[in-house]
Amino acid sequence: MRPIFDPFVLPFVLGMTFVLLYCIIGMTRIIFQLPKEDRRKFVRSLITPKTLWKDIKELFNDCLFHVKIWKRKPLLGYMHSSIAFGWFMIIILGHMESVAFSPFKDMQLPLMEKMASNLYLPIFFRFFAIEDASLKAQIYCFLMDFFLLMIISGIVIAVVKKKKPKNVGLKRVTKFGIREDLVRISLWTIFPLRFLAEASIAGITGGSFLTEFIGNKLIFGGSYNETLSLILWWLYSIDLAIFMFVLPFTRYMHIPAEALLILLRNAGLKTTEPRKGYAVAEIYSCPSCGLCIDVCPMSEVKDNYKNTAVYFIRNIRKRKRRRDVKNMTEKCLMCGKCIEVCPLGIESLDIKMAQRAKTYYKIKSDFSYLESCKDTESQSRQDEKSLKTVYFAGCMSHLTPKITRSMKSIFEAAKENYEFIDADGSICCGRPMMLTGKVKEAKTLIAKNTELIKKSGANRLVLSCPICYKVFKEEYQLDGIEILHHTQYINELIETERLNIDRSDKRYAYHDPCELGRAFGVYDEPRNIIDNIGLLTQGKSDKDMSVCCGGSIGSLTITLEERDEITKNSLKDITVNKPDEIVTACPLCLKTFARLSPINVKDIAEIVNENINVS
Amino acid sequence: MNEHKILIIGGGPAGMETAYQLKKLGLKPVIIERSDKLGGHLAQWDRLFPASDDAEALLEKMREQCIDIEKRLNTRITNITKENNIFHVSLSNGNSYDADAIVLCTGFDLFKAERKQEYGYGIYNNVITNAELEHYFKTHNDERINEPKKIGFVHCVGSRDVKVNNTYCSKVCCATALKQACEIKEEFPDSDVYCFYMDLRMFGKGYEDLYLKAQKDFDIKCVRGRVCEVSENIEGKLVIKAEDTLLGTPMKMTLDLLVLMCGMEKASGIERIQNMLNIKSNADGFIETRDTFYGLNHTKEEGVFVAGACTSPKTLPDTIAEARAAAVEVFNYLKDNGQQTFSLRF
Repeated sequence: MRPIFDPFVLPFVLGMTFVLLYCIIGMTRIIFQLPKEDRRKFVRSLITPKTLWKDIKELFNDCLFHVKIWKRKPLLGYMHSSIAFGWFMIIILGHMESVAFSPFKDMQLPLMEKMASNLYLPIFFRFFAIEDASLKAQIYCFLMDFFLLMIISGIVIAVVKKKKPKNVGLKRVTKFGIREDLVRISLWTIFPLRFLAEASIAGITGGSFLTEFIGNKLIFGGSYNETLSLILWWLYSIDLAIFMFVLPFTRYMHIPAEALLILLRNAGLKTTEPRKGYAVAEIYSCPSCGLCIDVCPMSEVKDNYKNTAVYFIRNIRKRKRRRDVKNMTEKCLMCGKCIEVCPLGIESLDIKMAQRAKTYYKIKSDFSYLESCKDTESQSRQDEKSLKTVYFAGCMSHLTPKITRSMKSIFEAAKENYEFIDADGSICCGRPMMLTGKVKEAKTLIAKNTELIKKSGANRLVLSCPICYKVFKEEYQLDGIEILHHTQYINELIETERLNIDRSDKRYAYHDPCELGRAFGVYDEPRNIIDNIGLLTQGKSDKDMSVCCGGSIGSLTITLEERDEITKNSLKDITVNKPDEIVTACPLCLKTFARLSPINVKDIAEIVNENINVS
Repeated sequence: MNEHKILIIGGGPAGMETAYQLKKLGLKPVIIERSDKLGGHLAQWDRLFPASDDAEALLEKMREQCIDIEKRLNTRITNITKENNIFHVSLSNGNSYDADAIVLCTGFDLFKAERKQEYGYGIYNNVITNAELEHYFKTHNDERINEPKKIGFVHCVGSRDVKVNNTYCSKVCCATALKQACEIKEEFPDSDVYCFYMDLRMFGKGYEDLYLKAQKDFDIKCVRGRVCEVSENIEGKLVIKAEDTLLGTPMKMTLDLLVLMCGMEKASGIERIQNMLNIKSNADGFIETRDTFYGLNHTKEEGVFVAGACTSPKTLPDTIAEARAAAVEVFNYLKDNGQQTFSLRF
């Protein structure tokens, strides 16, 4: 007969209680920090079957199986899912096993004691219960050993990764302080200690292939030393306690936080405050894995890796003052590549935007001119009621008149009944103001543009600039008006044969603008257009991995020299397969590349216009 | 045996003047020119600032001085090797020379205005360059210039502009713009002429007078501010946006003609020759001189000299002065080194 209690369980019980309380309080705080409307949305999402199903699916895929990491780096994926899923299974199976074979089952224990024992029994089951000879018990034992082995294999990879990040395909990893080292070492040792503790007693209480046959026979020579065994169980419990006491203050907080983040995200919430509510869930969900360091275009310049998303989030989490995170907040190009690779999909750009909105910038905005912006063509428009399409070039396209020229002739070739709504000069789309956090000012511009566009009576809006496209898609309420970037529009013209294109054997490389590609997934339309014109060459990193051109208006402080480094790096990637010309779909990318490109850079509208079949 | 010479690469004002002065010093210069005549950019110009002097007259005088000088027109350099301070130079016409010294007078290229797409050169019909306006003054043959009523000049196109990687001042455009502004006003007295400048750098003799004359006598309106955007309206006129930075107000204006004051850039193809001679460029692309005060006519390669706008943008008087200085430097170099050319001659 085994004892029903031993003092070694106490450290674990205390640690567990602490971490549970901490998480419950933290979660409640986050939920109460949410704006009222968001809170309502959250509750609604939990009772809607569709979102609930999505929640469950994502909890499994992301928290346990880490599907997103598997897709990018299989080895890292295995490392994470073996530890997370293995641990999860050990907890679940441990509970099932302790319910099925509880040694206290038939005892008359006071309720409190019964509840308390249920807290530690599944964790230290092998210490308290002797293995049943039944097949069911043996299967449990085997499964427990199997998942323990799985976790230990994951930890071996983790150790290798720590020693040599290159072996798992990482150039740079996040740098950590002592606290993080402590929690990491405690995590790494939990399962080896569990293995040793279980192995030391397996001769008496039983085990399976790992603990009994490998552990007990090989390490302990099949014998049982009570003191040694007890020391190991103590160590195992203390180690668990250390991990749990330190967990809330380290990156491992991502384990509970991620679950909450998934629920909040599926409820459709977004960051509104940089250090409250949803943002907190995101900040605590960051596992500091550092996948964003290698992909950040800014990392091209030495020392700038310190401004990458992982460090920004860490500083926000440390509650660093606004001026201490100012540079990190303002330097970011907002290209979104960090979000693309983030296994948790943490929308760090939203946090940065919200943080920018908190900063006071000395910009005097004078919008008095908006009054004088008249709808110049409304008179002539009344005669032709069938207006379908309006074209809004935006300020950047006005600086690259080849694009507006090309668009005009494409409209004409397609016999489109269109109106160039900002031919006479545009009112800014509002995106630059949004990027400096000046939401109110941006809304003023948005309201004026909305008014002008709605007045036109068109049901389709064609844009040439992805910067405009982003803000039009996200902030404008143009109900009933379809918003298209010209790549989408031209592609439609080609597919519906309203535009005939001559094919040549010219080789084109295509650069995906951040605000068209990563932001909205417009990858196929431009490629389809180029397929109709000539040969499309592959870049080194295309589509969602495309490198920012360096010209982004997202950054408020980056220097020209730093921009140039990014541009050169991006050009190197694009021209890796020796194209004749570089094609892009953003006037800003175009201008940025043209400065430093060894070969011609053109907008996609230009090459379409050059190849229109007029016959 | 080949007679040893001094090779002058480039037959513009710098090359012509250097050659002429070397000849006067008793040496044997040879001018290698890639085009079919001497004169360089000067041959494209009609009148010269600050006093609108006849460019043709100056060019004729310079050409005349070079009549007796050996020249190789339509010729390019194919290879240069150096051995015991003697340069073996092969030319595209199959000839070769042994030279005791080389003077680079390769000049500059005008900035290609297409690179500033926002000004619409090559896109809008009525946007022209300073060189094209000069050609019009010479020939009066340009259908784009048809009784313009409102004319704008944009200074600093391709100069002092990080966006095209040229951070230097081209030195000549301010004065050229005001000269051309006065001249076009003379041609079309009813027109309004605007100059959009960043700074007016009227540093040379007579330039400030030109500036005052332009305002007083010709009513040229100088606006401090860059043109940021050019578009075309339905009638084919140019609509420009600019900012008057002295008044702090944005402006919008409809123009009949816009003249872009293209600055100077390093000459294209000069890298090829630089590589043969092992001569470096500065960050701005122009040829590096030995130092910035005393060795302005020297490169870091012994026996290779420079004159004119190949080392930085220069005005014509500066170029001519530098060409003369280069001739003296070459003379001293040969004398000090007891080169063959020198001992033969003296």
